Amino acid sequence: MAKHYTIALAGNPNAGKSTIFNALTGAHQHVGNWPGKTVEKKEGTAHIGGHDVVVVDLPGAYSLTAYSAEEAISRDFIVHQHPDAVVAVVDATNLERNLYMVVQMIETGAPVVLALNMIDLAEAQGIRIDRKALSTGLGGIPVVPTAARQGTGMDALRRAILQVSSTAPNHRGSPAWIDYGPEVEAAIKTLETLIRQRPALREAYPPRWLAIKLLEGDADILALPDVVQDQALLEALDEAAGRIKAAAGEDPETLIVDRRYAFISDLVRRTVSRPSVEAITLSERIDSVLTNRWLGVPIFLLMMWTVFQMVANVSAPLLDWVDGVISGPITHWVVALLRLVGLGGTWVESLMVNGIISGVGSMLVFIPVLVILFLAIALLEDTGYMARAAFVMDRFMHLVGLHGKSFLPLLVGFGCNVPAIYATRTLESEADRRLTAFLSTFMSCGARLPVYVIFGSAFFGAAAGNLVFAMYMVGIGVAILTGFLLRRTVFRNKPTPPFMMELPPYRLPTLKGIWLHIWERTAKFVEGVTTTILLMSVIIWVLLAIPVRGGTFDTVPPGDSLFGELSRVLSPIFAPAGFGQWQATGALVSGVVAKEVVVTTLSQVYVGTAHAPIPEALPPLREDLADIVRSAGEALILTGQEIVNIVPRTVNILPGVQMPEAHFLGEEGESEDSTALESALRRSFTPLSAVAFNVFVLLYIPCVSTVAAMRQEFGPRWTFFQAGYSLLVAWIVAVTIYQGGLLLGLG
Amino acid sequence: MTTATLTAFRTLDQLLPGQRAIIQKVGGRGAFRRRMMDMGLVTGAEIEMVKAAPLGDPIEYKIKGYHLSLRRAEARVIVVDF
Repeated sequence: MAKHYTIALAGNPNAGKSTIFNALTGAHQHVGNWPGKTVEKKEGTAHIGGHDVVVVDLPGAYSLTAYSAEEAISRDFIVHQHPDAVVAVVDATNLERNLYMVVQMIETGAPVVLALNMIDLAEAQGIRIDRKALSTGLGGIPVVPTAARQGTGMDALRRAILQVSSTAPNHRGSPAWIDYGPEVEAAIKTLETLIRQRPALREAYPPRWLAIKLLEGDADILALPDVVQDQALLEALDEAAGRIKAAAGEDPETLIVDRRYAFISDLVRRTVSRPSVEAITLSERIDSVLTNRWLGVPIFLLMMWTVFQMVANVSAPLLDWVDGVISGPITHWVVALLRLVGLGGTWVESLMVNGIISGVGSMLVFIPVLVILFLAIALLEDTGYMARAAFVMDRFMHLVGLHGKSFLPLLVGFGCNVPAIYATRTLESEADRRLTAFLSTFMSCGARLPVYVIFGSAFFGAAAGNLVFAMYMVGIGVAILTGFLLRRTVFRNKPTPPFMMELPPYRLPTLKGIWLHIWERTAKFVEGVTTTILLMSVIIWVLLAIPVRGGTFDTVPPGDSLFGELSRVLSPIFAPAGFGQWQATGALVSGVVAKEVVVTTLSQVYVGTAHAPIPEALPPLREDLADIVRSAGEALILTGQEIVNIVPRTVNILPGVQMPEAHFLGEEGESEDSTALESALRRSFTPLSAVAFNVFVLLYIPCVSTVAAMRQEFGPRWTFFQAGYSLLVAWIVAVTIYQGGLLLGLG
Repeated sequence: MTTATLTAFRTLDQLLPGQRAIIQKVGGRGAFRRRMMDMGLVTGAEIEMVKAAPLGDPIEYKIKGYHLSLRRAEARVIVVDF
């Protein structure tokens, strides 16, 4: 009869856990977050020997203590969810440290299967492992050599999983094969006896394991209600710990870890043979260049620059294509459909086109950006360079209270804040992830640029570039100050987590691994943010459609709509910053949808009409289809052009060099007529209030897509806090600039 | 503990590239200390300094057959013999 099994994959980072997971589950996987944590949860299904098997990929960890979210998740799952089998994935080339966590897993009494992964690499390095002896030394668990990347050993692994799952019914005994030494063993025995007398504890945990955890001073175990209220048990623990310290001169925790490693060293000595002279590996040779004293920093900067170029520029033609297809053919078809059912020219048509389609569109345009970012991150992580990037940059980032790995998300933020939020996943500690995501929203993204450009050219003419540059600098400055502030307040009780980081061997990434990485994360973005973005753009549409000073629904001028009225009510707040006119406030309100919308709204309220006009005559279907194909072709050619142009753009950073950029489709003559808007702005703003307005646009609530991404990753509280903080800071800085400018006579 | 005995200690951050040492004692406290021990920095383990990062900090070490990087401030709490 077919049965349902649940198995878990556990092991150190970089041991090839994901590759084994992908090989077992194929495309049948789902990515989410562990409840209440920012740690990714991957789950998939596999069919093994006619049985349905749910495979849970536990986060990569080095130990089973409760000190980090990853470790606590792994441990709780293994101890409380009673999986039918736990596959411990280890890197066969680095057995000693990998086995440390395996031993802890076996100690919980869980049915463990050991996957000796990357056995091919180990053999190539001349490492020989006696599997039988290793299995015996680990209490008889199955040991299966695998090379998941090539698919070698996967059938044997499946068989071992099935065998363990079907023959180990609730085997929860904790094997006592590590001898922790006379002092600790005596204490374990005392505590174990006490635990066996307590049904609540005895049934929830393997007694020997619980005794060891108590002696290790495990915070989670000591906080259990059944332990906290048990004076007799706590006194016995105190007494035992005191006795150990007196006899052995060390605290129990240190002794236990030392003995565990001693046990493993001994086991490895008996079962693994290495060549007597260790060859310098290819990985070490690559590393001597990439983290070289002189080349390390330039190579790092070049890599980051390339990632930035890819996210910001290479994605642009594809982004324009998606935008064009949505605002062109797709809009046409929806309109045609509505006209067919007699709703043409009504407010429903306007809601569909200007509310819903444009809302969905503003989310879909992020997809090319995210696909390219996730590709870049997958390459950096899977090759092992990401750890080196952190190694090279840590000293610099540590100055502002961040980790070396924070550099990439912050840099990506200059392209777009949404991928920056997701890029923080590469950081190990939750505090670092939250702080980096928070700060990345102050990096001036590409969507804010059109605002600076239009104001710059309206007020500063040839010196417009200075305004743009100043905005980038203000963003960085605010981020640094915010970093200092948050470290001393919100994160005061969370000391900077240790840097301590493994530098894994360089490896060639697999196509399948990269593809799954991109696909899972992009799908999760669409799934997670659609509702928020849609809701926001519909709300703005409704506000603009409701007339309050005469006019009719949907055709009312913005100034007479509820939107205009609301802006008038809010506008006095901005008077001290020099832009108290309702039009500016309205632009800021709708700019929450996306910052470039600030320009669109300003243009609507100063020179144009409310909603974009819907064409009367629609082009035939054939023409639209041809248009999609033609523009897709063009977008691909332009993507190629942008990739090629990374070279001249990089070379041109050097002073005095001018390398021409490639133009595959001839020069584009892009000159939108914005003079009408510029003169309207000159009538409504002074140069000083224009600067204050731009600073506000830079700093206030990032767009709704970023807010949605943040909520998805960090939950509503952190997101509201960020939104509130950024509003307040934006106001304070804008007011300071305006009032300070007035005092200096710059008004 | 007097200053005289303190200066007699040699700590992990004092190793030069290519130098090896045996770990005598792991200092620090709580989660940080436990994490170091979990990563294999335990009494009696042999450790080799590989190199410092281009900006001088952190430092790359080789321990138990793998590469680990630590900030100087973190390496300073580990007493070694070399």
